[in-house]
Amino acid sequence: MNGSALHRIRLQRGTALAVRVGAEIRPDEVIGLRREPLAPISVPVARPLHRKPTEIAETLQVRPGSRVHAGEVLARENGHEVTSPQAGLVLAVSRGDGSILLAPLGPEQPVIGHVRGRVHAIEENALLVEVPAARVRGVGGSGDAVHGELVVGVHNPEDELRAAAIDVGATGKILVGGSRASAEALTRARAMGVAGIVLGGVLDKELRDFEAIQRRRREAGGMTGSFGLLLLEGFGKVGIDPQLFGWFRAHAGRMASLFGADGLLYIYDAGAAPTRRPVPTVGDRIVAHRRPFQGRGGVVVALLEDLHAASSGIATSMALVRFEDGRLAPVPLANIEAIVAPEAR
Amino acid sequence: MLVDNGSAWTKGAVVGRSRGRWRIAAHAAQPSTWDDADLVAGLAARLGGHADQRVTERLQRILTDAPRIACHTPARPGRLALVAVSADLSGRAARRAAESAGWVVAEAATVDDGRSAAERLVALQAAEVDAWLLAGGFDAEGGEMALDMAGLVAAARGDGHSPVVWAGSVQLAARVAALFEAGAVRAVANPRPAADREDPLPLRRYLEALLERLVEPGGARQLAPVGFSRAVAELARASQLRIVGIDLGARYATWVSADGGGHAESRILASGGLASPTITVPGGPARIAHSLPIAIDELAVADALQNLRARPGALPQTDEELAIVHGAARALLAELAADESVPDGADLLIGAGLTVAGAPHPAQAMQLLLDGVRPLGVTQLAVDSAGVLPPLGALGNDEIAEGIGTLRDDLLTPLGAAVVSQGGRAGHTAFRITVHRIGWPSLGPVEVRAGQLVLLPLGRGQIAELEIELESGVMIGTPRRARRSHATVMGGAVGLALDARDVPLVLPRRTDDRRAVLASWRDALQREPARPAAGAA
Repeated sequence: MNGSALHRIRLQRGTALAVRVGAEIRPDEVIGLRREPLAPISVPVARPLHRKPTEIAETLQVRPGSRVHAGEVLARENGHEVTSPQAGLVLAVSRGDGSILLAPLGPEQPVIGHVRGRVHAIEENALLVEVPAARVRGVGGSGDAVHGELVVGVHNPEDELRAAAIDVGATGKILVGGSRASAEALTRARAMGVAGIVLGGVLDKELRDFEAIQRRRREAGGMTGSFGLLLLEGFGKVGIDPQLFGWFRAHAGRMASLFGADGLLYIYDAGAAPTRRPVPTVGDRIVAHRRPFQGRGGVVVALLEDLHAASSGIATSMALVRFEDGRLAPVPLANIEAIVAPEAR
Repeated sequence: MLVDNGSAWTKGAVVGRSRGRWRIAAHAAQPSTWDDADLVAGLAARLGGHADQRVTERLQRILTDAPRIACHTPARPGRLALVAVSADLSGRAARRAAESAGWVVAEAATVDDGRSAAERLVALQAAEVDAWLLAGGFDAEGGEMALDMAGLVAAARGDGHSPVVWAGSVQLAARVAALFEAGAVRAVANPRPAADREDPLPLRRYLEALLERLVEPGGARQLAPVGFSRAVAELARASQLRIVGIDLGARYATWVSADGGGHAESRILASGGLASPTITVPGGPARIAHSLPIAIDELAVADALQNLRARPGALPQTDEELAIVHGAARALLAELAADESVPDGADLLIGAGLTVAGAPHPAQAMQLLLDGVRPLGVTQLAVDSAGVLPPLGALGNDEIAEGIGTLRDDLLTPLGAAVVSQGGRAGHTAFRITVHRIGWPSLGPVEVRAGQLVLLPLGRGQIAELEIELESGVMIGTPRRARRSHATVMGGAVGLALDARDVPLVLPRRTDDRRAVLASWRDALQREPARPAAGAA
């Protein structure tokens, strides 16, 4: 059975919506238009109306915050008028020099939703879309909203996504990496036009370095396109849980939408993804979330009675877990989650 | 049952009658993602060995049906756009008031933020906020720049309906209101009425009320930070003590300072907790790595802090992770304390929240409070280990005194007392102290050198009279000329800490020296307190 989710698209103030409730939208469809404000210009008012700068208040037809069209009257006095030279937003009125500060609005830019689905509701500055897709929620992420075909870029869920493995074949796609990717690999992916990357883990420093590189490129004006990153498990070198990795493999080639800042991935027309459940019981397959077992999978072989101290000294409920590498270890129940296969739900 | 549904952990406590008295019979904590049935099962398991055998089999049913007093962390914080003239004057005062009232400043724009007007406008248009806070201009002068910034907000807000708060020059209030639709703007007293004066309290109060109205209408008392504040105030009133309470949660941090009359001032920081972004900003992990007594790579610290944010319901499993979490807690407590002043010190310092109150060893809890808050003078220290203060604070005005009074003996776990001094020359004696314990031989005089932390035995409930003699240049919050002072203290799970490490803490620059000093402080509190030889610590 295919999944379905409700997704909220946040819209910047001033966006003119081009869709209505009930409309079907595609990931690359223009859902609205927006005009960015540009560097403000000063429109003289006092001089053309032959008034002192301190007297222009009574002549004004607009106030700060007003949105005006080109040619709209800004001020009027005895048949004389001052009109707006461009469409824009009135920011301020200066009593010092008797002028209006106007932020002209730039050319119309399309607003893309990056999701496929039906518009469910329109809220103030947001759009709710019913998405016919399986949703995977990560623990974090960064970057833009993107969409593209899902491809798997590593052989095993614990492999690192190497820079050398990213080529033009991944352009415009969402690439499932493994346990980590370096800042170099992320930079190369972006340069190759990869739409987004899904990782089990990433080192905080690598992510910071990558973001710093992007910031510098943006400031220098040399950056085009969007890029999003989804982090599934945590920070550090953390593999993707093998069951979820297998599910990604099974759905390679499907269209997907990634929302880095929201930590969300949608895969369209896909069967439900494996999920997680707190408080595993004996026999459950689990994934651990804290060191020294972070990202490792295993099976719960026993739940310990009473409270037991972890090596940090914290007394808590513990489970005895047989990890995939054969180790048997007590782990706080709070630090593990059961992996629930879709057919088991 | 008393239940505190936190953003990461849920704490539950069972109140039962034992030998004619209401007691906290059991308490448990679990990640908030777990079911209520798990909490009930956990509490029943804790009670199992102590409950009347006739009800042992039915404990889970009894607990499920038991009346509850519950509170919760706000589902989401209020988000605010702050627009001011100057980041350091009007902006700073307004930000402090907003953050203290529990708001998150989602976007801030000031004339001196280095951006163009168009960039500011775009950023404000993109901000997802519940309200707009405008500040700027001194009351005596007005200020056209503040009006320009108000215009920027009017342009960014467009046809939105979110409220606008004007907290700038009183002379501009009418002109600012004219920029928006009727009724949109509420003028509040300027938190920076003059260059040399800051008065954020009226704005803080108004923003607290606005937050209640917008984000949690009708249920403010059930909010854990509010409940904690009310419970601390009631404790202060009932005990006539000056109490400082600090609740360090995953998302929120709450600081409450209450006097003996029960008058409390609180600050609620929606982004002040351990999973807040403030500790992972550039420089944050390095600062925390710097404060650890063991060598942990800064990169590992950064990853661990990010994981704390990503999964706040998980527990530190290794020593290293616990050290990092405690390092982060100390840094956050220090930030909170730096913004507060506790007039004439506090009689009692209460630590709450799982990291502080649930530290594996009581000495770790004491060190978190001492290192983070640096309470100058003689202070009792305790923790809310059962997590019952926030839910008790959710009781109505006519019930809270009874609730706190009924459970008073069980509410807090006493850690002991501390004497914290400021000043002194490194390596030289900072103060001498003689401890007279009722029914036991006196200890001392014990000499405590500047930079030293000494622990003396003083068991739970044991009362001691302290004679303190300060060296020149050393203070403990008493009048400057008073070199001798007396105090009465009560012991606890840790003992009596004599702390001459200065306020704020001073650490050696060399890494090895710093770690050695930090480890010696840790060990001083965690090892069994020894009876010192007279005249030396």
